[in-house]
Amino acid sequence: MNILKGKITAIKANGTLSLVEIYVDNTPFKTIVVETPDTASYLTKGNIVKVIFKETEVIIGKGVEHAVSMQNKVIGKIITIENGELLSKLTINIGIDNIVSIITKNAVDELQLSVDEEITAMIKTNEIMLSE
Amino acid sequence: MIHIALQKKLTAVDGEMLLDVDFTLKQGKLTTLYGESGVGKTSIFRIIAGLLKADKGLISVQQKTWLDTEQKICLKPQQRKIGFVFQDYALFPNMTVKENLFFALEKGQDKQIIDQLIAIIELGNLENRKPQHLSGGQKQRVALARAMVRKPDILLLDEPLSALDPKMRAKLQDYILEVHKQFKLTTLLISHDIGEVVKMSDHVIILKNGKITEQGIPIDIFTNKRVSGKFQFSGEIIQIQKEDLVYIVTVLIEVNFVKVVAQEDEIKNLTVGDKVIVASKAFNPILYKIDLSNETT
Repeated sequence: MNILKGKITAIKANGTLSLVEIYVDNTPFKTIVVETPDTASYLTKGNIVKVIFKETEVIIGKGVEHAVSMQNKVIGKIITIENGELLSKLTINIGIDNIVSIITKNAVDELQLSVDEEITAMIKTNEIMLSE
Repeated sequence: MIHIALQKKLTAVDGEMLLDVDFTLKQGKLTTLYGESGVGKTSIFRIIAGLLKADKGLISVQQKTWLDTEQKICLKPQQRKIGFVFQDYALFPNMTVKENLFFALEKGQDKQIIDQLIAIIELGNLENRKPQHLSGGQKQRVALARAMVRKPDILLLDEPLSALDPKMRAKLQDYILEVHKQFKLTTLLISHDIGEVVKMSDHVIILKNGKITEQGIPIDIFTNKRVSGKFQFSGEIIQIQKEDLVYIVTVLIEVNFVKVVAQEDEIKNLTVGDKVIVASKAFNPILYKIDLSNETT
């Protein structure tokens, strides 16, 4: 699990869904949750929450410019690449913290990813969970 | 409504502890006391049953007062209408199943209840056997039936299923729920098993060091507050296996196994037997309709 600590800066609720914006240091994250400020007390502007997402849900884009629907695009630098038979584990520094991405080894080879390279880590809005 | 307010000094492993609780049980509901060993759960049961004296306390069951230390009222155990089931079955070994049940009858009580219980708890083909010829699950069914004979005002279940394997446990939980509903009982359960608490209880009371720290609807208490994921279950880790760069963790949820991919960092503080919450977002799972007409062909 990638767990980052951030501050809630905006909440847009509609029905039972909420679109929440959280700043982890200077990086904004957006997530959609089946909760509203009425059902979950931690959904309050200014609250510190944990931003949680799985390593296997972190997509890697080469370089920094990407026109994709992904709302969470974090620019970082690859610190380590660990290769298995089928999978590769990338540790990425995003400033205040590190995140981990697990992608196929094929993808690492195709993109010719290497240590120290600047990349964009992307996570879909609906793959991020929040916790107190 | 049943009101229970108790105070008692207990000697715990690490010194003295003051048991100090005040709670109510709603008629016809199943309430669970949840907490680690030594927080006073069984002592509460023993005080309710009249087997242990409270330093100060009040127990009122509907309009009757069972205990009021200020008024010096304290009914004897046999004057309190209580059904008690423990982890060990405590059946009379020299009596058959049916005789064990008959022995629990009060003087002049209608014997019809015995047949009724035998039917609901499905003891029909066991009724002439002696306890030594019964499995653990069967013995516990008999103990449950026996506790029901006097139609108790409160049914007390002190970890009745903890000695049984998961499958038998799930079945017994169904029997208990069935009896609880059919007889509109007010039931108080002690359980360590979050899955069991969520499945069985209308209300859960969390105890710590002799005090109530939290109470409410089990699913709210145990899950939602921790993480926003709406696809949540509690289970037990059965196996942790390394595959390539990741770990595959097998978790038993009730009677189903699920597998979760995890990282080394997450595995560090997890071992087989640990209780865990398996969570995902409501967006991820797919629903696949089971077509029964296809299955039977």
